[in-house]
Amino acid sequence: MQVTEGYRMQAAAADADVKKWLRRSLWWIVALAVAAVLLAAILGTGQDAGTILSIFSTRFLGIFIEAVPFLLLGTLVSGVIDSFLTPDDIARIVPRNPVLATIVGAFMGFAFPVCECGVVPVVRRLFNKGLPTWVGITFLLAAPVINPVVFVSTYVAFGFGPVLVGRIVGTLVVAIGVGLVFALGARTQDVLQPGALMPAMGGDGTIALSRPQTLRKPLRAGLRDALANANHEFFEMGRYLIIGSMLAAAMQTLVSQDVLLALGRGPVVSVGVMILLAFLLSVCSTVDAFLALAFVGTFTTGSILTFLTFGPMVDIKSTLMFLGVFKRRTVVYLIVLPLLMTALIGIWLNLNVAF
Amino acid sequence: MQATDHLHDHAHHEHHHEHNHARANAQAWLRTGLLFGLAFYFIYVIVSGNLANYINARFAWLSVVAVALFLLLGLSGALDLLRGRGADHDHHHDHDHAHGSLSWTALGIIAIPLVLGTLIPSRPLGSAAVGGSISLNAVSAAGAQPFTSDPLKWNVLDWLRAFNNSGDVSSFNGKQADVIGFVYREAAFPGDQFMAARFTISCCVADAGAIGVPVQWEAAADYPADTWVRVQGTWQVGEFRGDTVPILHPTNIDQIDQPDHPYLYP
Repeated sequence: MQVTEGYRMQAAAADADVKKWLRRSLWWIVALAVAAVLLAAILGTGQDAGTILSIFSTRFLGIFIEAVPFLLLGTLVSGVIDSFLTPDDIARIVPRNPVLATIVGAFMGFAFPVCECGVVPVVRRLFNKGLPTWVGITFLLAAPVINPVVFVSTYVAFGFGPVLVGRIVGTLVVAIGVGLVFALGARTQDVLQPGALMPAMGGDGTIALSRPQTLRKPLRAGLRDALANANHEFFEMGRYLIIGSMLAAAMQTLVSQDVLLALGRGPVVSVGVMILLAFLLSVCSTVDAFLALAFVGTFTTGSILTFLTFGPMVDIKSTLMFLGVFKRRTVVYLIVLPLLMTALIGIWLNLNVAF
Repeated sequence: MQATDHLHDHAHHEHHHEHNHARANAQAWLRTGLLFGLAFYFIYVIVSGNLANYINARFAWLSVVAVALFLLLGLSGALDLLRGRGADHDHHHDHDHAHGSLSWTALGIIAIPLVLGTLIPSRPLGSAAVGGSISLNAVSAAGAQPFTSDPLKWNVLDWLRAFNNSGDVSSFNGKQADVIGFVYREAAFPGDQFMAARFTISCCVADAGAIGVPVQWEAAADYPADTWVRVQGTWQVGEFRGDTVPILHPTNIDQIDQPDHPYLYP
C-alpha cells in the first residue's frame, strides 16, 4: 500500500513539474511575442524612443500609482477574512429557499471582499460544507464585484455615473441569472467535481480533509497570517496589474488614435474586443476600473461595461481554478453564459442608450 | 486510510520544505525589499510633488494610504523573517495558487514600476502625448460653470466651457484673457499659430484628454513645442482648423516654469 502510494506521489510530482515548466515556457513565449510587437509599434510611431519611453512611463505609472492602494487594501482584507471567518459562519446564514439563497449569494461578496482569484477556494470550502450549488455559483460570479473595495475603486475611476451603477446592476443581473439557471436545471452531482462534493453526497471530500478542521485562530497569530497572506497575494496579483497597466499604457502610447477608434466605435466590435481584453488580462477586479479608464476616450460605454462585468467573472486564471472545482461541462457553461449575457448587455446599451 | 494519507502527506511536506527553505527565504527577503522600495518610491513621489504628474490631486491621500500599507506589509514580512518564521508560514490553507514559490520573474515584474519610476525622469504628459486628438470642446462635469466670476482668472478649461455653453461666440470678441498652457502645434498650422494646451484628468493620466485654445502671434515660431507659456491677450473670432472659433491675440507672452499642477481637473 505504502509503495504504491509512493509511486503515485512521484508520478504526481513529476506531472506537476512538467505543468510548471509548460506554464513558464508559455510565459516566456508570450513575453517575447509582446516585445516583438512593441518594437514594431515603437518604430512605427516615428517619434524618438526617449519621448515614447517617457510618455509610456508616465501613463503606466499613473495607472499603477492610482490602482495600487486598492490592490493592497483588497489583499489585506482578503487575508483577514481568510484568518478569521470560517466557511461555517457563512453556511449558517444562507437561507433554504433557492431564489432567496441565490440573491444572498450575490451579496455575500460584502463578507468576502476578495479578488476573483480568492473566490474559488472559498466556494470550494463552502461546497464541502453543503452549500447549494447555485448559491455558490452566484457568489462566484458576483463576489469579485459586489464588495466595498471594488465599489470605491470604480467610483474613483469613473465617478458616480452610468458606469458605476451599470457595473453593479449588470453584475447582479448576470450572476443571479446564471445562478438561477443552475438552480432550476442541474443536479449537484453533475456540476461539481467529486473532490468538491460533501462526503454525504457521494463525494470523497478529499479537499475537505486536506485542511485541518478550522478552529478560529487566536488574534495575533491570525493577524500575522493575514499579513503574510496579503504579502503573497500582493505579489501574485501585482504582476497581473503591472502587466495589464503596461498593456493599457502601451496601447495609449503606441497605437494611433484612428486604430483605437476603429476598434472602439463599433457597437458590436468594441464589445468583442473588450471581452477578449478582459479575458486575457486577468486583472484583479479591485483595480481593473483604472485599466478600463484608459479606453474611455475611444471605446463605447457599453463595451467598457462589458469589460467591467465580464472580466471579474471569467479569465484565464479563474478558468483554471474553476476546473478544479467544477466538471468540465459546467466550466463551459460558466464561461459561455456570462459571456453571452454581458456581451448582450453591452451591445444593447450601445445600440439603445446614448451616454 | 485517510489518517495514514494525512501523515504521509505531512512527511512529504516536511521533506519538500527543507529543499525550498533557502530559496523561499531569499525570495522572502527580496519581497520585503521590494515592499520597502515601493514605499520609499511613493514617499518620494508624494514629497517631490511629482504625484501631480500622475493622478488627480484629490486622490493624493490614496497614495499616502499606499505608503502606510506597503510599510505595514514590509515590516511584518521583515519581522517574520527575523523571528525565523521566514517563508515557513502555514501551508495548510487551501489556496490553489502555489504559495511560497513565486518565480523570480514574478518578483522581477513587481520591480518594474520601481525601475521605471526611478530611472526615467518624471514628466507630465506634453505635446508629444497629444497624438493628434486635441479638442476644443471642454470636458465638463455635468453643467459645471467657471467658479471665479473674474474672467481674468479663468484657465483654458473655463474659457472653453464658456465658449461651448454660449450661443454666440462672437460675444467674446474683445474680452481679455490670461491663461497658461504648453505650446502645441500640428504640421498643418500656419506659421503664426499655435495652441496653448492643457491636459485634463478626472482620475489619473489614464483618462487624460488634451484641450487647448488657438493663439495667433507673429513670432509664434519663437516658442518650441512643450514650452510652458503665459498668454495675456484678447479674443477675436477667426478661422481655425476649418471652424470659426475665438482665437487669442496676445498682448504679451511670457515663458514660465512648468506649474506644480500641470493638469486641469474638470
